[in-house]
Amino acid sequence: MIKLFPRMGKLFTVAVLVMAMLPLVVNGQAPGPDENTLVIAQSVDVAGWEPAQVSSRAEANIFSHLFATLYEISEEGTLEPYLATSYSLDETGTEITFTLNEGLTCHDGEALTAEDVAYTFNRAADPENAFTGNTPGFVFDSTGFINAEAISELEVTLFVEQFQSINLGLLAEVNIQCMDSYSSMTLEEAAAMPIGSGPYRFVEWVPDSHVTIERVPEFTLRPNNFETIVWRVIPEASTRTAELIAGNVDIIANVVPDQIEAINSSGVAEVQAVAGTRRMYVGFNFTSFFEGEPGWEEIQNTDVRVAMQYAVDVPTICETLLGTECTRASSMVNPPNDNPNLEPYPYDPEQAEALLDAAGYPRGDDGVRFEITLMAGAGRYLNDVNVVQAIGQYLSDVGVQTNVQIMDWTAEFVPALRQHQVGPLYFVGTGGGTWNAQYDMADLSSPTGATNYTEWSNPEWFSLREGLFNPALTAEETQEIVNQMLEVFYNDPPWLLLYFQPDFYGVSNRVDWNARRDEKVFVWAANFFE
Amino acid sequence: MTTHTAQQDVLSLSNSELAPTTSSLRRARKSLIRARWPVLALIILIVMVSMALFGPEVAPKDPNRQNLRARLTAPFTANEETGDVDFLLGTDGLGRDLLSRLIYGARISVSVGFVAVFIGGIIGTLAGLVGGYTGGYVDDIIMRLADIQLAFPFILLAIMILVVLGQGVLNLILVLGIGQWVTYARIARGETIAQRGQEYVEAARSMGMGHWRIMLKEILPNILAPLIVIASFNVASVILAEAALSFLGLGVPPDVPTWGAMLAQSRDTLLAGKWWLAFYPGLAIMFTVLSLNILGDWLRDFLDPRLRGGD
Amino acid sequence: MGAYLVRRLLQTIIVLIGVTLLSFVTLHLAGDPTYLYVSERATEQEIENTRRALGFDRPLPEQYLTYVGRVIQGDFGVSLRAQRPALDMVLERLPATLELTIMAMIVATAFAIPIGILSAMRRGTAFDGSMMLVAMLGQSIPSFWLGLMLIIFVGLNLRWLPISGHVPFLDPLLDGDFQRAFTNFPDAMRHLLLPAITVGVFSLSRNARLVRSAMLEVLSQDYIRTARSKGLREPKVIISHAFRNALIPVITMLGLEFGFLLSGVVVAETIFSWPGVGRLVFDAINQRNIPVVQASVIMFSFMFVSLNLFVDLLYVRLDPRIRLN
Repeated sequence: MIKLFPRMGKLFTVAVLVMAMLPLVVNGQAPGPDENTLVIAQSVDVAGWEPAQVSSRAEANIFSHLFATLYEISEEGTLEPYLATSYSLDETGTEITFTLNEGLTCHDGEALTAEDVAYTFNRAADPENAFTGNTPGFVFDSTGFINAEAISELEVTLFVEQFQSINLGLLAEVNIQCMDSYSSMTLEEAAAMPIGSGPYRFVEWVPDSHVTIERVPEFTLRPNNFETIVWRVIPEASTRTAELIAGNVDIIANVVPDQIEAINSSGVAEVQAVAGTRRMYVGFNFTSFFEGEPGWEEIQNTDVRVAMQYAVDVPTICETLLGTECTRASSMVNPPNDNPNLEPYPYDPEQAEALLDAAGYPRGDDGVRFEITLMAGAGRYLNDVNVVQAIGQYLSDVGVQTNVQIMDWTAEFVPALRQHQVGPLYFVGTGGGTWNAQYDMADLSSPTGATNYTEWSNPEWFSLREGLFNPALTAEETQEIVNQMLEVFYNDPPWLLLYFQPDFYGVSNRVDWNARRDEKVFVWAANFFE
Repeated sequence: MTTHTAQQDVLSLSNSELAPTTSSLRRARKSLIRARWPVLALIILIVMVSMALFGPEVAPKDPNRQNLRARLTAPFTANEETGDVDFLLGTDGLGRDLLSRLIYGARISVSVGFVAVFIGGIIGTLAGLVGGYTGGYVDDIIMRLADIQLAFPFILLAIMILVVLGQGVLNLILVLGIGQWVTYARIARGETIAQRGQEYVEAARSMGMGHWRIMLKEILPNILAPLIVIASFNVASVILAEAALSFLGLGVPPDVPTWGAMLAQSRDTLLAGKWWLAFYPGLAIMFTVLSLNILGDWLRDFLDPRLRGGD
Repeated sequence: MGAYLVRRLLQTIIVLIGVTLLSFVTLHLAGDPTYLYVSERATEQEIENTRRALGFDRPLPEQYLTYVGRVIQGDFGVSLRAQRPALDMVLERLPATLELTIMAMIVATAFAIPIGILSAMRRGTAFDGSMMLVAMLGQSIPSFWLGLMLIIFVGLNLRWLPISGHVPFLDPLLDGDFQRAFTNFPDAMRHLLLPAITVGVFSLSRNARLVRSAMLEVLSQDYIRTARSKGLREPKVIISHAFRNALIPVITMLGLEFGFLLSGVVVAETIFSWPGVGRLVFDAINQRNIPVVQASVIMFSFMFVSLNLFVDLLYVRLDPRIRLN
């Protein structure tokens, strides 16, 4: 047996001691955020700085602090003047003219005039640039945007194909850029650094780590109360929560319901729960892509789809898996713009079974009426993997044997969704708003429309929809058509309606900020408590 | 020749003459009992394997039966009305019985571990045997393939393959198996080269024995020992790799219980103090991995006479 | 030596071609990536245009050859999502990943060697037993779980170390900004410790056991007995003979370890919000962002191959019995 000899032993002891001491030695006071800096943590980073390429809510939040827009849709759904002071529509409703404030500038000092606004719109629409972000991909497609023209120093006109009441709100929220600065940059340069027009200016971007922006003192159209704002990227939910409780971060988005209690009991921060506007649903895919698949034939039957609405206990799902009470959706439209006469389908499994029996799908010897596949992506929505499994259980309980298939969100689910090839049942949430019912109804713009993933083709819905393209309609007349359409939807449901997704924000006690319903993290009006 | 000869010299765990014989079995039993710990390890493994085999008979409940109202019930909690403990080890985030999931989980986790190692071991050993025995360009190609795979971080390969194939237990086993073959190939090849020149191989050849027969009947038994030792360690690392892939969302589908996936699903509730979600699957993984390592250690000491005698 | 290096270089090229081919084919097998790069409401025509613009409409062999041709000229393509050069995106994240990997390697070796040696020398004692038990525990903890526990206990409850985030050290150092590197150093180390432990603990445990068994083997060799019988003092025996030889398995593992550590890095970078290549490439694979995946894979493979060349050369110095062949 070899003896332990002194020198090595000492060496080792010293090494162990140093390691044990290391945390104490290096530990200073953690340099938490200082009194002029607000730190916000989101789960994903910006992909780049091209405004026309913004596609996620997290990106849009940062961009909204760097760039101003013509108008802004408030939380209550009203249009608030921003860069523009007023707007007017021609009698066909296809020409919208905005009048700008005087003396506007971009962050590099360039004057911001009508010419710059027209440039912003035309640049985003230019097929040469091949932009795919929210502005060209969603706003321009939904509004039928044609082009923009500066008609005077401060007046710019936007031309669209057809009047729709959502055009104004959508176009008004495009991030405005300056012409000289952006036309002198290549696309690659523009993607590397933004030159903004909003209340904060760009300071630093360390990809996948953080973005730092600072107050533009000259900017007066909106308050900008913080000297500096740091947007951190923290993908792991537990890490975000830990940083909030440790006091290193002021606001975190997407709090996991099971961690709400930990935050509220920390004494450092509170969770703000808001009833979000995103509409969560299970879609019934009618396309022939699934012809022959189990369940596809059955869901063509309206009675089956109505019966399945009764099978899912949405309130319990909300209470247990989402950590909050929620009301079940009665239509695809967010209240208060929905049809007030429609009652949400209650949870009534017996009714579901009775309707399924009546529709001609009795339970077999094994208790199964028919089998069906429910597809979902993982990690995109609040507690989605668990919610989908719970839905699968509820449907199986009434004899609709549901085979839940969880896929990777980006790699598998999205490409299939875009091709209308998820189903026969699929779980999705689609962004909504409180400002206009038709914004929420735009998902179903035509039977084969890009976002009509079910390819639902109820003729009544689409003929009623034609009636909406009339600038002469009063608000009441519009609502009347909307109500009729929602009734059609209710009685021949292409979706199994679930809930409006609640959102949870963790907010440090030192910050005076109120979370909004529409997923926008705007901190202009926020402040530190004294 | 290959570029990694130097490393192989070091990695190969034995010399030669390690072929197990019947008398060595008795010797093994004696040595096992004398060392004590390996006996315990063996018992634990036997328990795990029988859980895997007889899971459905043993499990108290359907591992996938949800009960949202009873979600996150702590272990040993008595039902308020009946006073019974409905869920011995508590429930998970969907109110599924943790004990039943653990027992069913043994089934998948243990078989993923063993089958993946088996697949990787067979591919690797065959490749190494053929390469080492034939030499020349066949050997070169096999070793270049091994180099390519080694230079490709396993996790990236695994992610890519799972993205292509989609999730599933079989795909997972396949990926984890493919990730292993190089280790066995390199050891088998080094050992084969050492055996190739031995007299018994020459003798078999002069007797007109076919190449495949020589490789499988003559050489293979002589090089098996170090491969078995490595395999016993690798089962453990495969179980861990499965957990890591589950964490990244690439493991088995969420309704399939495996220990790794259960541990990964506990990530959000750790901060909330729901310790049992992580504790029990963690314990299961730890005991299994520990047992495999202890057995592997013992096996190596036992098979490699150079290390004995210190006791 | 010269001929050896040339042959190694050739092999490296073969490996790089193999690696890019493998990732290229795999990513394309997963189906048409175009749908990830068009807007939600894109028409058939727009999808077709995008497909053409991204080059996905051409035959696969042609796409691959074009890509290789560009890479030879130093053009690694542009990220399909961020529209920034893929190589830039990898390079700007590389220092953070290197810091983490190197620190994890330090954790894995600096502690493994003394533990392994002492355990071997005190074989069978309580010290040996407990160290080996701890080492085995270290090999049975999944790294993501260890990372979360470290965050909760060391970061949040004890407040000893930062919970997440990265303070650059290597990056300013490589830029020649020594002032900033120096001022950042203490903070950079504080941020490094938890992720590095998370990544390195498995290897630390394995290395400690490797060193121990290598030491045991060496100590039973004839030449050590000879040295002892010649009356050499024990420390001299250990340091000049045994230790040197016990180092070899650790160095061997060091080369192979790199690829292994990277696997841990993907997980640790997510948990600790570490802005490195691991997260980049993980996201890129999911988004089929082929240029970024390729650039990262080439970078990783190149580092792996160079490291192993270095290790092989190091062998020759450490162990005269081993020759390059």
